[in-house]
Amino acid sequence: MKRTHENNYAVYLLTHELMHVIYKKVPLIDLKAAQLIVQDRMYLQEGKEMPVLCDIRDVRTINKAARDYLAREGSLWIKALAFLIDPPVTDDLSIFYMDTNPSKIPTASFVSKSEALAFLAKHTS
Amino acid sequence: MENNDDFRVKRIKKMLLEMAKGNFFYTLEPSDRNDNIASLVVMLNMVSEEIRAAFIHQGFANAHTTPQCIIQLSLILDDRGQIELVTNGTCSLLSYLPKDLIGKPITEFMTEKSRERWTKKLSKYLKRERSETVLFLEFLTNEGLVLAKDCQLSVYQALDGSGQKILLNTVFFSKGEPFETGLPKKTLKVTKGTKEHKVTLTPKDIQIIRGVHDAIINNLDKDLPSLKELAHQEGTNEYKLKYGFKQVYGTTIFRFLIQERLRMARTLILHSTHTIKQIVQMTGFKSKTHFSRAFKDKYGRSPSELRS
Repeated sequence: MKRTHENNYAVYLLTHELMHVIYKKVPLIDLKAAQLIVQDRMYLQEGKEMPVLCDIRDVRTINKAARDYLAREGSLWIKALAFLIDPPVTDDLSIFYMDTNPSKIPTASFVSKSEALAFLAKHTS
Repeated sequence: MENNDDFRVKRIKKMLLEMAKGNFFYTLEPSDRNDNIASLVVMLNMVSEEIRAAFIHQGFANAHTTPQCIIQLSLILDDRGQIELVTNGTCSLLSYLPKDLIGKPITEFMTEKSRERWTKKLSKYLKRERSETVLFLEFLTNEGLVLAKDCQLSVYQALDGSGQKILLNTVFFSKGEPFETGLPKKTLKVTKGTKEHKVTLTPKDIQIIRGVHDAIINNLDKDLPSLKELAHQEGTNEYKLKYGFKQVYGTTIFRFLIQERLRMARTLILHSTHTIKQIVQMTGFKSKTHFSRAFKDKYGRSPSELRS
């Protein structure tokens, strides 16, 4: 099973064991964007809990309403979450997000995709 | 010049000074760059947003002693978007003198993005004799900071027959005495009656209460132990937990739990194929009737209406 999907804010690559979300380069992720991002991810996952790899390297601004939505409503069906980052901007952005939105989902950020995948594998086996 | 590090640091300092005065409504324009200064800008904007939210919440939840200033940004424009009238608050917010603003097109004081949005949307609203809308706009102050907010726009007909006018309005919250000039004369004090229990919370108490808050969010499907048990588990007493939570979060533990459960339920109703009965169970509700009533109270529509 391999599926891809795209909306204005993100590209989704879905295999049977991983949901890979690549955020597009947009000026702002606001609440409307966050809702669509979550809606499409849930639609693709069809109720299946999965590890999620989130490539946020092109994200620059994500406002509070969007952060709150992603942290609460947007945390369903996620087994583990790895952010793919490019320091310093997205590194600090992910640190800020993780620190201000404590979650029970194992979450960490990585510069290298292989390390991110290893983290997800460790937390979903 | 705008890409020069000195210039960028100067902007950051301006923003910090505003925050120090209690003005958390400014933001810095983000850039596409990926360096330490860009990172600092991103962090500063997010910190300011978090403080702004906490600060307004506090103001309304337990503002026995916190004076609140509401600063109104208000302008009257003609049908070409030229500024005819500004309030003092507007001048202070934008750090311009009235003479710098009056007669100029409003778009001169907006970010490029907002300028485009304004031009696109406004022609549509001006076609009608009267209309009202909310538009998200970003203004640029004289000092280069960004003021972003949803603005209320009302298009109306001037009584003297001079055509259409536009009233642009929004408010910002500030603490204390935000500006050297043009100080708002009235401060708003919000009180919620005299019966409220006030507990003195130590940093440790607040930490415990935050822990309870996070534990609730992460265990929505499970039963909440009684307040007494919960307090014991966390090493505090029932009274402190009960009233402390209300003080910190502006709502009771039970109401907060229901509200978070409903948020989760709403997401599941919208985006999953689970039946409503399953969702009721997954979100920890004991009875479907109770769930449906609470849901409708909060979202104005019943779960099944939202589904269809």
